Amino acid sequence: MANLEEADKALKKADKYTKVTLTRWGPDFEKATPLYEKAASLYKLAKNLEQAKHCYERASTGQCRTDNKWLGAKHLESAASLAKELKQWDEVLDTYKRAAELYNEVGRPQVAAEAYGKAAKAIEAERPDEAIKLYIEAISVFEEEQKEGLASDLYRAAAASMIKSKKYEDAANLFIRWGQACDATKAVASQCKHYLSAIIILLHAEDLAKAELCYNDLSGVDAFSNSEQGRCASQLLDAYHDKNVDDIKYIVKDSNVIPHLDHLVVRLAKGLPTGNVIEMKKSANKTLNMKDEEEELGIDEDDMT
Amino acid sequence: MATIDIITRVDALCKKYEKYDVDKHKQEAMSSSDNYVRLFSQIESDLEVAMQKANDASIEKNRAIVATLNAEVRRQKTALKVELPKLEKLAYKKVKGVPKEELAQRPEQVKALAAKIDAVPDGVTINNRRAQKGPGSIREIKIDAINPEDIMLNPEQYQHSEESRGFRQEFEMRKMKQDEGLDVISSGLATLKNMAEDINEELDRQAPLVDEIETKVDKANADLRNTNKRLKETVLKMRTTRNFCIDIILMCIVLGIIGYIYNQVR
Repeated sequence: MANLEEADKALKKADKYTKVTLTRWGPDFEKATPLYEKAASLYKLAKNLEQAKHCYERASTGQCRTDNKWLGAKHLESAASLAKELKQWDEVLDTYKRAAELYNEVGRPQVAAEAYGKAAKAIEAERPDEAIKLYIEAISVFEEEQKEGLASDLYRAAAASMIKSKKYEDAANLFIRWGQACDATKAVASQCKHYLSAIIILLHAEDLAKAELCYNDLSGVDAFSNSEQGRCASQLLDAYHDKNVDDIKYIVKDSNVIPHLDHLVVRLAKGLPTGNVIEMKKSANKTLNMKDEEEELGIDEDDMT
Repeated sequence: MATIDIITRVDALCKKYEKYDVDKHKQEAMSSSDNYVRLFSQIESDLEVAMQKANDASIEKNRAIVATLNAEVRRQKTALKVELPKLEKLAYKKVKGVPKEELAQRPEQVKALAAKIDAVPDGVTINNRRAQKGPGSIREIKIDAINPEDIMLNPEQYQHSEESRGFRQEFEMRKMKQDEGLDVISSGLATLKNMAEDINEELDRQAPLVDEIETKVDKANADLRNTNKRLKETVLKMRTTRNFCIDIILMCIVLGIIGYIYNQVR
């Protein structure tokens, strides 16, 4: 294959430049780096991914030594994506982390956070926990920079990961955080949608008490309480209160707003109600220290004073 | 046969059968100096037009066109009826050059014409006939408020008949269909609203980014222009410097050669 041969040639030349000889007292990265880059792309065309990755890493070191950390980080990212194709998960993680560090050094934390996000997406399938951690780190970076609006994709991917790994409470918390981010950018419609999603996830996890507390907190937000989504949430919670399974199903089926949420959440909503509604209500009452209506009436009837 | 021959033969034939040419006679009648004949022929031609329209109306399927044609016919009938008295007056006038029998016939002609005008169907008479042949339903259909006394006095008016039951059923069915349609529209509208909100948010998010890009690009543009100018200056300077150096070197060489020659000569 012509590409392979050319790539080999380029690689050899580049290696020569990096070796210390009599005429050269130190590796000559200025000449070597472009050759490494060329070799890497040729290897990629020739589908020799291992060598391509190796070349990209060398190219990146070259760039770093010539004070071009940005390009170095970019090369590391390419190397990491190739490692993903080769399914070398540890390497993927390491390489992306190195790239992110370089980005941070150059003073572009946003891009570093995006690198974390890419890393998380790459290892999502195999190591969901680590992926979730990376996502959350990336999101925190954005929040510190006050640029949460740019982090929407990360939020979505993180939430999807969490729901898939059945971490419902984490997912609900993430949605509320996302809602807060939308509040900062005045994206009211999205904010309400995310709050509703959080409540649905909590209901799906059979945690009525938390859902109620959540709703009480959120109804303090004007935008949410006046919105369609807020109304839908209160209807759902009422139906759960009345232990009315048919009502719950009817609300979800006929709702105007639920079909427009994220599709994973819609799937959860269609599965409502999960578990035994009456049991849920009892445990919710215990947690919230509320007396059940029937019990209350009993006390009133007996108490004549 | 050449064309000119055909033309002459046709002319000859036309002349032979001239008396059967209705249109030509009509034209003569139109241009006749006799007022009566002129008016008569005019009314006749108008009547023919009306008859034509009435025929069209009877074969037309599109009800709107039928209605328009009928209205036209009716209008023309009234116009012709207005002309008739004029014609009658003229009919009784004595005209020179017209034989006595014809004069006597004229009033008859006028009456016949009047009858013909009336006979043109204009959609009114047909309905009348149908109404008379209709079902012998004595019951009228009244739309008014329900009076409680009325219910007691005429209970039979407020009972369901077969007709009204069927009517009510149809009403309910149509209402249901409309409700279904409205549901479909409402869900479509909800989707549209959702999409519009999302588009709105995206645009809000991207507007400041585009502004940032604009400022950055402007800055880069200015930097580039500066750099270009400085580069141009440097290149010019270098050229002159280089020329200057070459000048000096050449001068030195020339002086050296002159010095050498001078030494040789001395």
